[in-house]
Amino acid sequence: MSDTYIIGAGIIKFGRHPDRTPFQLAAEASLLALDDAGLTIRDIDAIYAGSTFNSASMVAQRMLHLIGQTGAACVNVSNACAAGATAVRQAVLAVKSGEYDIVLAVGAEKNPKGLMGGPLAEGPPPEGLFGSYAPPSIFAEAGMVHAARYGTTIEQFAQVSVKNHHHGTLNPKAAYQLETPMEDVLASEMISWPLTKLMCSPNVDGAAAVIVVSEKKARELGLGRAVRIRGSALVSDPYEPRSPDMFDPNSVTRLGVGKAYAMAGLGPEDLDLVELHDCFATAELLHYENLGLCADGEAGRLIDSGDTELGGRIPVNVSGGLLAKGHPIGATGVANIVEIVEHLRGEAGARQVAGAKIGLAHVLGFAGVAACGVHILEKAG
Amino acid sequence: MATDYIVTPRAGHASIRVDAGGNAWIESYRCVDCSAVLSSRAMACRSCGSRTPMQTFRVAESGMVYSWTVVHRSYPGIAVPFVSAIVDLEGGPTLKGNLRIDDPDAVRQGVRVRLVFDDAGGAHDKDGAPYVGFHFVPEGTGA
Repeated sequence: MSDTYIIGAGIIKFGRHPDRTPFQLAAEASLLALDDAGLTIRDIDAIYAGSTFNSASMVAQRMLHLIGQTGAACVNVSNACAAGATAVRQAVLAVKSGEYDIVLAVGAEKNPKGLMGGPLAEGPPPEGLFGSYAPPSIFAEAGMVHAARYGTTIEQFAQVSVKNHHHGTLNPKAAYQLETPMEDVLASEMISWPLTKLMCSPNVDGAAAVIVVSEKKARELGLGRAVRIRGSALVSDPYEPRSPDMFDPNSVTRLGVGKAYAMAGLGPEDLDLVELHDCFATAELLHYENLGLCADGEAGRLIDSGDTELGGRIPVNVSGGLLAKGHPIGATGVANIVEIVEHLRGEAGARQVAGAKIGLAHVLGFAGVAACGVHILEKAG
Repeated sequence: MATDYIVTPRAGHASIRVDAGGNAWIESYRCVDCSAVLSSRAMACRSCGSRTPMQTFRVAESGMVYSWTVVHRSYPGIAVPFVSAIVDLEGGPTLKGNLRIDDPDAVRQGVRVRLVFDDAGGAHDKDGAPYVGFHFVPEGTGA
């Protein structure tokens, strides 16, 4: 089976876009990706559109009503925070199948305001009666398991936010360009202990797109700025004895990452940069271990070492991550891939990871149940 | 019109069972093939996929805190702060619930707690039937 390549990538500035529809956001990101590739919408065989809150209204088709109704196959993908990665993954599979040569994957979201989620079942609303099901609480609880086992401190979790907000100041597409020193992170409003407001990713709107092509088409169009997809994995949460009352972000991530490393034939030591799902500051430390960036129990020491900062041994979330760039749910999984593409091309500007050849993008979709998407990309040209 | 019956309370949580006399307990399921314990009913075992009907059992009402958070901001209308605790019940499933404790800073993994049934915050269904809920208290303290 031949490889697939990304030959175009685009991302709009994340933030609140009150005057625009999610379809306009998707269209803008898609046009950026098409222009980047030197293609037009008429070249696109199929479209996979990731969106969690807007999928039911057929984002892909509504986008085509704005940029050209070509009759291309449209698939609208919803998979919580993994919707964007799922769209890319389906684009990869569609090209690998041989049916299509050029496929567009786009993620676009207009997020609702406030805390995500809420009751599904009849009966008294469980929040506050049977503990908390708000996402910050879920990820606080996941972090406290790590803290209990390894002695991880609130300062170590908070340092993730300090680092990623610093990275965000270098990314013009990030929703927030704001340095947040440790004392500011710790002093911001407590949401779910130990997570303060600055340790929670902000709900913003956004869109990002990539164009996935076959090896034959990539060679035709020129490999100069192309990026090879070495690994593409999508998994759902395996059985865990404590689930669903205790959400485990670890086993699902380890399952997905293991598949992606196996597919790519490489391991964490081969990575030059990582974009991982820092929906909350606690999550980033858990994923250091889940991705194999350090041994189990060493995540606190890894953040303390500075190795995951820009300029360090393995920079993580140099885009600013979800914490500073923002987290438009369905767009996030495509945006992470766009970030890796920019670095592998050497086009990431002030936040460029020098000499980056291989990068990994990870997202974790969660709605009481989970999905994990992992992509490993390599510079082709 | 006077009524001569007592309205049977309803379960306010998927794991609660209530008999006609209003007595409440926690029920869980054990796979006869792989011994996995499930806190809610499934159509086959979540762990092994076995479709052999699961054993139901009454769950012990004591256990240990596995993880927790102190919630300071929640959805609109939810009273804060409160402790959200994840408790491994003895021989049974893991359940999440509020932990009522005087000093939230004293919560640790391994703290022993007891499950106490309550009136689910005074909630009633649309016909006026009360709900039964539960919360946790530290072992050795009153309900």
